[in-house]
Amino acid sequence: MSTLSLHRATSASATERPQPTSRRPKRNLQSRITGIIVAAIVIVQVYPLAWLFITSVRTEQDFAGGNPFAFPTQITFDNYARAFANGNLGLNILNSLIVTVGAIVVIVFLGMMGAYALQVLGFRFSKFVRGLFLIGIIVPVQVALVPLFVDYAQAGLLNTYQSIIIPLAGFALPTSVYLFSSFYEYIPSEIYEAASLDGAGPYRIFGQITLPLSVNTMVTVAMVNSIFIWNDFIFANTFVLTDGLKTIPLGLQNYIGAMGKVDWTATFAAVCVSITPLLLVFLILNRAMTYSLASGATKG
Amino acid sequence: MLPQRSRLSVLIFLIPPLALYGIAVLLPIFQSLFLSFFDWDGISPMTFVGAENYITMLTGDTVFWKAFGNTLGYVAICLVLQLGGALIVASLLTLLRRGREVVKTLYLLPAVISTVAIAFLFQRVYSLDPVGLINQVLAFIGLGNVQHAWLSDVSTVLAAVSIPEGWRFTGLYMLIIYAALLAVPAELEEAAKIDGASWWQTFWRIRFPYIRPVWITTTVLATTNALRGFDIPYLLTNGGPGQSSELLTTYMYKTAFTSTNYGYASAISVFVVIECLVAVGIIFLILRRKADA
Repeated sequence: MSTLSLHRATSASATERPQPTSRRPKRNLQSRITGIIVAAIVIVQVYPLAWLFITSVRTEQDFAGGNPFAFPTQITFDNYARAFANGNLGLNILNSLIVTVGAIVVIVFLGMMGAYALQVLGFRFSKFVRGLFLIGIIVPVQVALVPLFVDYAQAGLLNTYQSIIIPLAGFALPTSVYLFSSFYEYIPSEIYEAASLDGAGPYRIFGQITLPLSVNTMVTVAMVNSIFIWNDFIFANTFVLTDGLKTIPLGLQNYIGAMGKVDWTATFAAVCVSITPLLLVFLILNRAMTYSLASGATKG
Repeated sequence: MLPQRSRLSVLIFLIPPLALYGIAVLLPIFQSLFLSFFDWDGISPMTFVGAENYITMLTGDTVFWKAFGNTLGYVAICLVLQLGGALIVASLLTLLRRGREVVKTLYLLPAVISTVAIAFLFQRVYSLDPVGLINQVLAFIGLGNVQHAWLSDVSTVLAAVSIPEGWRFTGLYMLIIYAALLAVPAELEEAAKIDGASWWQTFWRIRFPYIRPVWITTTVLATTNALRGFDIPYLLTNGGPGQSSELLTTYMYKTAFTSTNYGYASAISVFVVIECLVAVGIIFLILRRKADA
């Protein structure tokens, strides 16, 4: 697939300043109308989320009253208290952190190593290996569920952190390798030649040249994957069997099952608690995150 | 290529990533293929049944075909929302003078939220008893008579489970397409306008051909992502009512982990893999051919 070259075109232009539009009066009206349309679309897009947060501070009577656009008549945090009392949020967050950090470290370092072997060292079958990595991008993750379940059962790995980290990292690895190797293409070969002349071998060059230069790409890879790993449902749902290992998405699911369908406001409070950490990270790292997501996705 | 490199150093760097990838991705694909020729519940000994799983699946299993049809519908709705929506919003965004960054961020927000949270949100958005967001809005604008339990009606449930998935990632595709649109040289479009081309002509003849490579990538991405869609239908309706929102992936999951029929589930997995490969092939064929014309 020719995604590699496309990606560069896309990401290069992502940082460009938009071209100024011509300043004729007719344009002015047109741009105002466009502004209104865009605003309307954004409101529709974001409203469900806003509604989620507003509902989480409503009283139950207020919520049952039924006007979706009304501001809450009174703000209450009882919902949050009930949500925390019924759940195991602290443990769930800890588990999610362990899985996310573990998987990210694996994805970043193995991705870097793979890209170094493919792009910098180079070898005869490198095209073939690149092709192998492409499979992981096209193939749906569900194909791995039954085989891994069987393998884990035999290896005694069911219900461990590793059981979630292995497939999450494995399926994210191709994108990581591609991102790093497209970056390594830009490291001028003179640098490597000079280092070689000074007597540095492949390991020292990796540690002292390639690795320090890769920091930006490392951040990109880490950010784009952290969202998907933090939110992973399917692997955790399949391989985690006890409450003690449940990550945030599973904990949330549990939670609501325990409360039944009646207590919607507390349910929404729980949902808000579960999405807030990532939402905050996203809003703080906004620019870097948007860029990472776009480039990470085109890569795949 | 490094001038001084030993075969050993290549292996040292290549083997760890390849080992993980092999264990997590490549080996399971072959295991699925292998298991699909057996009848196995995970406990009793495996029985070799040849192609029987495939024959049953393709000729005698109405749920399978229903799920296949639903999957196509699901993909279609996701593609319209994600690609169509993304293209429209990205085009509008290029006309905007201020606030582009804010729009980009807000539009991308749903992509950050876990599918479990989204499922609970939409369960409540669709519900009738108690009255959910959509039904509240309908009553509010005087359309109370079309109020509906969107998730329990067989005719609306497939669309209802597809929309959250489309909604979730449209921002991501919008970003990609927007970046591509910015790269279209303004002079080209200005020249076309001077020559009297309409907005529509400029779009089809200049903009779109220019972003076609990115469009192909985005289409491949959106299609393969939609084909592996699982979380939201599984969490919202678990394929129901009946099989009206059953996708191949949810059907596979239930066959494997509820009915513990590993062999049959593996046959469905293999089908899903082939389906993804075929879909990618078709997209390349269609969009490449257009590029030649």
